[in-house]
Amino acid sequence: MDIFEKNRANELFAKVIVLALLAAVAVLGQAPTKGWAQRTPDGQPDLEGYWSNVTITPLERPAELAGKAFFTEQELAEREKRAEIPRSAEQIAGTIAHYDFHQYGLDMTQTKHALNLRTSLVTDPADGKIPPLTPEAKKRAAERAAERKKMGPYDGPESRGLGERCIVMAHEGPPMLPPAYNANLQIQQGPGYVAILQEEIHDVRIIPLDGRPHLGPNIRQYLGDSRGHWEGNTLVVDTRNFNDQTNFRGSSENLHVIERFSRIDADTIVYEFTVEDPTTWSRPWTAELPMTKIKGPIYEFACHEGNFDMVNNLTQAREQEKAAGEAAKKK
Amino acid sequence: MVGLAVMAALAPYPAAAQAIAYKAPRTADGHPNLNGIWQALNTANWDIQDHSAAAGTVVSLGAVGAIPPGQGVVEGSEIPYQTWALAKKKENFANRLTADPEVKCYLPGVPRATYLPLPFQIIQGGKSIMIAYEYANAVRNIPLTDPGQSPAPSWMGWSVGHWEGETLVVDVTSFNEDTWFDRAGDFHSDALHVVERYTARSPDTLTYEATIEDPKVFTRPWKMSMPLYRHVEKNAQLLEFKCVEFAEELIYGHLRKKPSK
Repeated sequence: MDIFEKNRANELFAKVIVLALLAAVAVLGQAPTKGWAQRTPDGQPDLEGYWSNVTITPLERPAELAGKAFFTEQELAEREKRAEIPRSAEQIAGTIAHYDFHQYGLDMTQTKHALNLRTSLVTDPADGKIPPLTPEAKKRAAERAAERKKMGPYDGPESRGLGERCIVMAHEGPPMLPPAYNANLQIQQGPGYVAILQEEIHDVRIIPLDGRPHLGPNIRQYLGDSRGHWEGNTLVVDTRNFNDQTNFRGSSENLHVIERFSRIDADTIVYEFTVEDPTTWSRPWTAELPMTKIKGPIYEFACHEGNFDMVNNLTQAREQEKAAGEAAKKK
Repeated sequence: MVGLAVMAALAPYPAAAQAIAYKAPRTADGHPNLNGIWQALNTANWDIQDHSAAAGTVVSLGAVGAIPPGQGVVEGSEIPYQTWALAKKKENFANRLTADPEVKCYLPGVPRATYLPLPFQIIQGGKSIMIAYEYANAVRNIPLTDPGQSPAPSWMGWSVGHWEGETLVVDVTSFNEDTWFDRAGDFHSDALHVVERYTARSPDTLTYEATIEDPKVFTRPWKMSMPLYRHVEKNAQLLEFKCVEFAEELIYGHLRKKPSK
């Protein structure tokens, strides 16, 4: 068996395992939600462990599925099959680079995910669409775009997005939405606290459960300020005090997030969030997605420390400017 | 036996024996409860050895940037550097304004994370212990069962913990060679092995001990120890100190587009 055959055999083996795991997980939107009886040593409902919120369900319902909130199991099986086709950059029209997402585990073929019969993560409004932006939010978006246009795309580090700068990734939230890859997170519970660690970028949200008030209004944070309490088996987390750079789908620093974590079986947490910001959306909206148990552990994602991307991009932009300047002189 | 206990009680800090005199409250599963927000109250992050007050590296910061004096946290006060390594430490010190990984907001490594002048929080679960540091959102997950081989060297290392009576013992290996022990240029290699011991010494203080082993840099293992203090404020919590944006000018400033003349 040469190395290629061996790799292929390993891939097949991995895939069989993944499929076997898939078969075992609850199908969200179909299974009746049972309570999960297990408790942590200090008596909290047990959410501990490593989880992934990866999903193939889009946030908003696609136009062609208007009026259809759920797939049938057969339709879902078809979609699953399509999601498991290994993807590479070559399949994207207009790309010339060879970049096999399958090879690096960046596509769905090697990732365990919970099944979800819903056609959109958005559950409220009932049409599965995020409510329209308010006039104020549209104005803010235009101002933000105008501000960005004042700089070229590679003038300096501030020209790049927060994720590229390794400050915070958009999926971290809250609300936590699945990223393109690496949807791994860990929930740790200690007396009086629940902590949520997202592998990318090693951010821990430490959520006190003692009913204390939020931070004062002058302390603003990228991940906001979270407070939690238990409602039966459900962890309810209230987050405010975002800074004006958080910008969740056009939101302002007035963003208010309420998350609900309900473990329904050994393998599944149902994660629901409601976001409201009267300066951004015409009404609050809610989405729901399953998180599925993974083996772990969470590794160190040292993003900033290895940010050669920033150095390379800025260097290249300066070199191009220099070359353009020299070419202009010759004319 | 009584004599020993009395001696232990009389022994000056830091005496590990002091742990005998104090038994920490227990978590629901019977281990010493180390949950809390803790912070070192010393100048070890400036220099883990004895040091007098001195001017800072940025003259324009005046007294605000000055180095506070402090007594060292290294037992026996000497760090047993190999000859070449002592020269390297001095070079690091000379270049500290740009070479100290803390200046660049890089992950701090262990044990430095413990005595940065910012708090950290221990969240003690049944199967693992998480330590979250305010500085740079650094975090360590410390499993209490063997996690197996580390897949790669890292900034915060590969930790595994176990209980020895009153003490949480954490064995940390698989570091990269890029972190320092302090702003004075004290350093290590990728052969670093740290054994940490966290022991409650009163309701609101811990004793922190770290044994440092690195045969590529030191002639023998050495040890540091210090008390850690609980944040007893009712509203104490870790806040965001995402320092990347404060270090961007330092790291990328020379690559900015210059205003056209």
